[in-house]
Amino acid sequence: MIVATVALYAACEGATRQAPPAKVAGVRVVDLIPASLSGETWQDAEPFLALYASNAQLMAASAFTPNPGGSASATAPIFVSNDGGDTWTLRNTLPSEGMTADITHAAGATPPVLYSGILKVPGVPLNELKASDFFSPATMTLQASRADVDQPFVRTAPTASADRVYVGLNDFDAPDGRTATVDVSLDGGATYRSRRIETRATLGQNGPSVRPAVAQDHTVYVAYFGWRSTAGSTVTSDVVVVRDDSGATGATPPFRDLLDPSDHLPGRLVATHVTIPWSNAPTLGQERIGSTLSIAVHPLHSDTLYLAWADRAGTGDIYTVHVRRSTDRGVTWSGDLRTVTNATNASLAVSVSGTVGLLYQQVTGSDSSSRWVTRLEQSRDGFATHQDAVLATVPANAPPLQFLPYIGDYNGLLSRGDQFLGVFSASNAPDSTNFPQGVVYHRRVDFATHRLLDGSGATVAVSIDPFFFSVPVLP
Amino acid sequence: MYTRSAMLLAVLLALPGAAALGQMSRATLVKQSDIIFIGTVTQVGAVAAPEVTASNRTVVVHVDQVLQKPAAVALCAGDSVTVQTAQPGSLKPGSQATFYTTGWIFGQGVAVREVGHELGHSPVVAADQQELVARARLDMNDADLKAHMEKAAVVVAGRVEQVRPAEFAAAPGGAGGAHRTRISEHDPQWQEAIIQVQDGIKGAQAGEQVVVRFPTSLDVAWVGTPRFTVGQEGTFVLHKDSTSGSPNAMLAGRSVPAYTALHKVDVLSRQDATRVRALIRKP
Repeated sequence: MIVATVALYAACEGATRQAPPAKVAGVRVVDLIPASLSGETWQDAEPFLALYASNAQLMAASAFTPNPGGSASATAPIFVSNDGGDTWTLRNTLPSEGMTADITHAAGATPPVLYSGILKVPGVPLNELKASDFFSPATMTLQASRADVDQPFVRTAPTASADRVYVGLNDFDAPDGRTATVDVSLDGGATYRSRRIETRATLGQNGPSVRPAVAQDHTVYVAYFGWRSTAGSTVTSDVVVVRDDSGATGATPPFRDLLDPSDHLPGRLVATHVTIPWSNAPTLGQERIGSTLSIAVHPLHSDTLYLAWADRAGTGDIYTVHVRRSTDRGVTWSGDLRTVTNATNASLAVSVSGTVGLLYQQVTGSDSSSRWVTRLEQSRDGFATHQDAVLATVPANAPPLQFLPYIGDYNGLLSRGDQFLGVFSASNAPDSTNFPQGVVYHRRVDFATHRLLDGSGATVAVSIDPFFFSVPVLP
Repeated sequence: MYTRSAMLLAVLLALPGAAALGQMSRATLVKQSDIIFIGTVTQVGAVAAPEVTASNRTVVVHVDQVLQKPAAVALCAGDSVTVQTAQPGSLKPGSQATFYTTGWIFGQGVAVREVGHELGHSPVVAADQQELVARARLDMNDADLKAHMEKAAVVVAGRVEQVRPAEFAAAPGGAGGAHRTRISEHDPQWQEAIIQVQDGIKGAQAGEQVVVRFPTSLDVAWVGTPRFTVGQEGTFVLHKDSTSGSPNAMLAGRSVPAYTALHKVDVLSRQDATRVRALIRKP
């Protein structure tokens, strides 16, 4: 069912106020930009999302959204929602000048505790942060910091005594070029310990993406790229998964519970010698490529996990997403269950019922007619069949990029109960046909004339916005 | 990026008879604020939008006139704004004031945190105050620029003679360490601009050449940083390179200090040289 829905909140003219449309069962897509920031034109790329298991109303989200006060501001913002994602407010609580250079976050057990890993501006040091209450105007508390780190990726797991925090990151100061690292906190972020997870020789470093996933029994999986050699801008890599069966709490070095049969070293080689096109320039629909990686574990049955990455398959593609599955704790893996050509930002999640969700963004068409298509696929049978929801289909050549990443080096997908919930970034061009499932804008917009409006009713340039969505899990 | 009545703001700064604003000068209030408006308090202990929690520090203010705001912010005369006051009880219903604020919560409405306020009627503004605007803004910017230049190693006016890939060199005596190559999306992709100094204002003399490293990366970590092109003329505020990991560059076969200019005020127009020199000399 296609529902083009628009909410208008006139901030200044008092004229065009249109009540939000009646809710329809099914898919929701919501532009996160609030009405009071209707004049914003920034490239709000690389979104992320945090949810609470115990309170469906509370959520936090982020993107490369700047403090509206400007680059001289001492803080950067996050988005928060207290109504299940229907509306969002922007609050400047991150200790970074104006904006961050990377940000992910995850919820603590007790709402609204939030943990975040950012690359702080200026200088881009890692900051590991905590907010006891993300609605508070207080700046998030710094818990740990160091330089020479890339792509902090935060996951959490509750325990009776304290939250456990797992921050996958690429630590350039790690010894022997084995840079894939997980910063582990077992005491609610009070202390962190860096755990090295690469056990093989690298070309001098690992890839930037180090992605943890935690099951409810505290099995922790981590996926990373084992970069082995490089030729020009092409990297030859293994795709590796490590596992820790006790939440990295043991006395022995953690993440060594899964060995590869080829060399008996920790870290299962799910794919070897794949070709990673490392391009820090507009390459796929104005986006750079080279670090797409995602892992998700069944929350209740940690034997089952899914892995997605992107490489160059060599079939004339630019970048191809692959999805594989293990049902025996990562010991053996399927072949490709799903491949998607010229796609990036694959994000996986598994619902409590075992349905897997795959969010990705794909460039379709060519040249001036090319489009970024954002899609959520769900499957209960290992992608033998899958249900698709196109969340957005927008021009790939407009608006022009302001910086990289254009839409993000990653996006976010999670599952809670009978819903998949996520965030993606895309053009905010106000055209109902761009959002086949319908969309809600809170910023001022006139869909009839395809115009964004500022507070005074003047036209605002199209830009990249973060969008929240929810999709019911397949019954 | 800032819009609206900058003109009004300049008048506020220029008004000689304005009352003292607590412990802060008006210029300080302006410097610390990004949203400034004239408004009338309509409710105390209340909020204008549901996303803000009412407290004894919140008041609702009817906006009479917006003096300054970021372009992204939708705020107009006639709107109601939630203000978190600096002191509970400092404002009563009916009070009209100029509010100096920073953005707090942006949702259906705007909520701001008060830096300070000036009670009284709004100033009447003539339409021909453009010069006052420029003067006021310059005064504010000059203080910031002077502080910035005091931290700089070199300030020169000159011309970019060459742009080249960065050539990292060890510091004299081997100190400083070698530049490490990393594959990262945040790689700055350093290049170097060779600047011919025409006017040495601080730390260099006319006729010298200095090497300035700058990022060419499109990555988000470097958005807004100045870039250099051959033939570019300007006044350059240069800092010893503590970012690239290698403090020295090569110039005519010699190892020389490398500089950076990563802040937007590090690159000014050639015409700013006179102003910059005067600022440096100013006590």
